[in-house]
Amino acid sequence: MADTAVAHTQASASSEDLWSGGQAPVKASYGKLMMWYFLISDTFTFAGFLIAYAAIRFAHPPMATGLPNAWPDPNEVFSATPLTGHAKLPLVFVTFMTFTLIASSVTMVRAVQEGTRMNKKGVMFWMVWTILGGVVFVGSQAWEWTHLIHEGMTPTGNPFGAAAFGALFFLITGFHGAHVTVGIIINVIVLFQTWIGTYERRGHYEMVEKVGLYWHFVDLVWVYVFMAFYLL
Amino acid sequence: MATGITHEESKRRVMRVLIILSVVTAVEIGAALAHYYFLSFEAQVATKIWLNVLFIVLSAAKAYYIMSEFMHLRYELKPLTISVLAPFLFLIWAIIAFSYEGVSWLELRNWFG
Repeated sequence: MADTAVAHTQASASSEDLWSGGQAPVKASYGKLMMWYFLISDTFTFAGFLIAYAAIRFAHPPMATGLPNAWPDPNEVFSATPLTGHAKLPLVFVTFMTFTLIASSVTMVRAVQEGTRMNKKGVMFWMVWTILGGVVFVGSQAWEWTHLIHEGMTPTGNPFGAAAFGALFFLITGFHGAHVTVGIIINVIVLFQTWIGTYERRGHYEMVEKVGLYWHFVDLVWVYVFMAFYLL
Repeated sequence: MATGITHEESKRRVMRVLIILSVVTAVEIGAALAHYYFLSFEAQVATKIWLNVLFIVLSAAKAYYIMSEFMHLRYELKPLTISVLAPFLFLIWAIIAFSYEGVSWLELRNWFG
């Protein structure tokens, strides 16, 4: 009796798609569902930051007042682009960054789709483009940070207006950039494991799908970071 | 991952979402720059609130397409979709409550210096 129970547990633990209840809940594997729940918790972290941004912004005089501690106008703050000298080009560079992230999300979906067809070469091809997109995005962010620090923006003050603007900008875009960086590292690991044939031997490319969820989440967060800092 | 649609069809759907996201982003940037360059200061101040409404609606649309197609939520079972989306209802309350709180901090500051 005890022996059969142990044998049964071991058999269930070894099959990945059934969580030992005979049928996987919501037809999702354990790993995929846990990735979703991690992303929900991460959403709340980002939401906490962005809601703090909203509250602190409402606690400052609006842009239109022109007071020294008024909230800065994004068209004035984010008006520099590489290779254009001191030309004033509001929002041009961040548009490039946004399109880069959207494009790398698309290449990630393509990698997942090739994974479902067990096409190892296809997965690797699209993963490389995804990683490249992520690197360009983080590099662009580094350039923008360097530029703004050069302009005199610090966590405690900036020449554009409300001091809290700098602190919130570095906190939130930094936290997002850290997520992108972690995503790049995970993508490189998955690319390597694809290359050495780990998923081929496993019989499915679900790991690509799971890191894909994380990568799209990073894109999703950027929609709101972009809206809060560059548009509103 | 079984979606019941062909590989070619899922490729087409991804390209469709790419075009939608690109167009929506271009509209957002275009609206922001047109508002900045073509309106007088008074007109900018008067219309900013409607511009912000546009940005919030378009960002929600982008979030919808990223979650439904890229994150594949459209093709998952309903209970999974609901358990992922339901917690976000709390955020609606939090956004309203803390924005209101922020306005009241500004009033307190103006009142007491």
